[in-house]
Amino acid sequence: MTKRSVLFLVLAALLAAALIVAGCAEKEKTAEEKTEIVFGAARSYTGPLAIQDQSCFGPVYRLWIDEVNAAGGIYVEEYGKKLPIRLLKYDDTSDMNTMTNLLTKLIVEDQVDFILAPISTAFLKAAAQICNEHNFLLIGAEGGAKELEPLMKELPYFFSLLNYATHQVPPLAEMLAEHNIKTAAIIYIEDQHGLEYKNDLVPALEDAGIEVVFDKAIPMGVKDVSSIIEEAKSKNVQALLCCAYPDENFAVMNQCIASDYNPDVLLFGPGACFEVFYQIYGENSEGVMGWGAWNEKSSDKMKDLAERLIAHQGERNMDWWGMAIYYAGLEALQQAIERAGTLDHEQIRDILATEKFDTVIGELWFENGGVPAECYPGHVGQWQNGIFEVVAPKDKQTNKPIIPKPKWKPVTQEE
Amino acid sequence: MTNLSMTVKKNIPYIAISVLILALLAAVPFFSKPYTVVLLKNILMFAALTLSWALFSGPTGYISLATAAFYGVGIYTAAYLGKVLPLPVMVLCGGLASFLLALIIGAITLRLRGIYFAIFTLSSVELIKQVLHWFEITVLGTRGRPVVKISNTTVYYVVLLIVVLLMVTTYFLKRSRYGLAMSSIGSCEDAAAHIGINVTWVKVLTFALSSFFIGLTGATTATGLIYIDSHIAFDLNYSFFPTLMAIFGGIGNVFGPVIGAAVFSYLREILITRFPYAYMIIFGAVMILTILYLPNGIIGLVQTIKDKVLGGKDATASSRKVN
Repeated sequence: MTKRSVLFLVLAALLAAALIVAGCAEKEKTAEEKTEIVFGAARSYTGPLAIQDQSCFGPVYRLWIDEVNAAGGIYVEEYGKKLPIRLLKYDDTSDMNTMTNLLTKLIVEDQVDFILAPISTAFLKAAAQICNEHNFLLIGAEGGAKELEPLMKELPYFFSLLNYATHQVPPLAEMLAEHNIKTAAIIYIEDQHGLEYKNDLVPALEDAGIEVVFDKAIPMGVKDVSSIIEEAKSKNVQALLCCAYPDENFAVMNQCIASDYNPDVLLFGPGACFEVFYQIYGENSEGVMGWGAWNEKSSDKMKDLAERLIAHQGERNMDWWGMAIYYAGLEALQQAIERAGTLDHEQIRDILATEKFDTVIGELWFENGGVPAECYPGHVGQWQNGIFEVVAPKDKQTNKPIIPKPKWKPVTQEE
Repeated sequence: MTNLSMTVKKNIPYIAISVLILALLAAVPFFSKPYTVVLLKNILMFAALTLSWALFSGPTGYISLATAAFYGVGIYTAAYLGKVLPLPVMVLCGGLASFLLALIIGAITLRLRGIYFAIFTLSSVELIKQVLHWFEITVLGTRGRPVVKISNTTVYYVVLLIVVLLMVTTYFLKRSRYGLAMSSIGSCEDAAAHIGINVTWVKVLTFALSSFFIGLTGATTATGLIYIDSHIAFDLNYSFFPTLMAIFGGIGNVFGPVIGAAVFSYLREILITRFPYAYMIIFGAVMILTILYLPNGIIGLVQTIKDKVLGGKDATASSRKVN
């Protein structure tokens, strides 16, 4: 090796060392006046989970931030003024490793003031622990499940927001029993979401005097469900309850129409609650049920929210399960900040855990890190004349359920 | 003087610089921002995966897309054993589980060549993912598991150690009889068999050794994921990224995969944080340009620059080294 070669290597090593040291250098902190509240988001803007940002929590937080900023910001007594919100968002590419890294970056490097929840129950589980480690508040969004309950109790800075099987199954079983449904079949997706709903539905239906004729698991992304639908049809099952995700739910819906199977009750998990479901199926969506639920008839405030969301997006891209609840969660956070008069997470957490908030869905509060069933605007919805009506529980109904649901209309091909 | 000591003596400047960089990396947690440790941990994780991939696929020319399978096995080992075993033992178990799985997969697949081998290894990721998924849902009645969280600094040091072990293993393996056997398989497998090399045995063992390191990496980095399920653990991206990183960095040199992983993962970090909707487009363009204009990757470019700067005899020698 020549001297020039050694020199070249030394220069290369010095360059590498300089890069490492430069990357490690502490940012100089200056005591600048607080001019904004920074919300950090490590969410899926690409990858398989991205659709949820486009159609669930995404439109809600974007509207909320614009509305808060239009009003001058959130008043924080500690600073004696309103502070506008700035959103710092990173794409986790629907990858858990990327999400956990970026969430840590937002908290420790970017030093954001608050975090917006990542997408899905699995990501929420990991994010809740990271946030809690840093005494950072995390209010859930897309993702609600029984399996989060231990975390709600163990992690004081984590608050789950969305309703799930625990809240939704009892009013459904009650409604079905009241309408003399005697037999039901359950199709569930082969994952924790499907299992949870199946495990809650079977005993709840049996307790309500409804025979569960079969429960069958389907894999994610399944396209052909004809054998299951034919079995349900041949056994004359009255209620078909499909606890899957939009892609699989749409496959089951298509097969029900193709097989001309008209159960008295047809209910789907996520997917039926989206406006796009009605846009796709039109008249055939009539009478189809889904978890949820809220609509423009739920209250004046919710009507107004729906109008603002539609105007803000420029299209009727609505999620009639979560959107009002997500907005209420952001309102609760804003009110907690204003009541605390500070951006200190411990003080805001104490207020969130113990006080009640006036929100778009009415009075909202948290118990053991979760939202009590009575706070939600509804648990079961049903498409009736283009509106996702709340049909259960009874005290939240915006219309009576139609059972049996109307038969399929012949599908005409547009020219 | 033995060949080994001659080789060591000849490369003293490289070794000295490597030790210097290693010392600097070891000191990072003492003087850096907390996120720098997370970022470097991520870069080192990809470096470990890329080096492991290149350990087998580099000399033999067999394109393995099973990295995600062995990485996932390491992750699941951490999820199952993390609560009952201390970190070093748990990490070792992750490596051994992947090693054993690779022995089985290798024994079945390494008689296949070319595209058939690549497709089989890719399918093995999906197969293991779906079998685990089925087992969890139908037998355990649940899906996914929490992983015991370990501090980022500890994980950083363990991954750094894995990278060092991998670099040393790659360096010495390449210069051993075993390494020459691998290279001859890569050049002409039939000729290698004719001169008496047990090609299947060499391929299977190297494949398993490479998977051992991938398993170690999976078990270590799982502790930062906190919660995993089969879809998170067996993500096909972890098969494609190491392959792309190795091509990007350059396969023919021990530093190539490390440089490829470092530049690629840092570039990815910059792009996903600043251009969330454009990064895949930019990424794709970078890869196309790399394959078209830098067939030997970044390390090849560095070598070309070095040759131009140095010129003459030394340049010729270094050019040969890359190829």
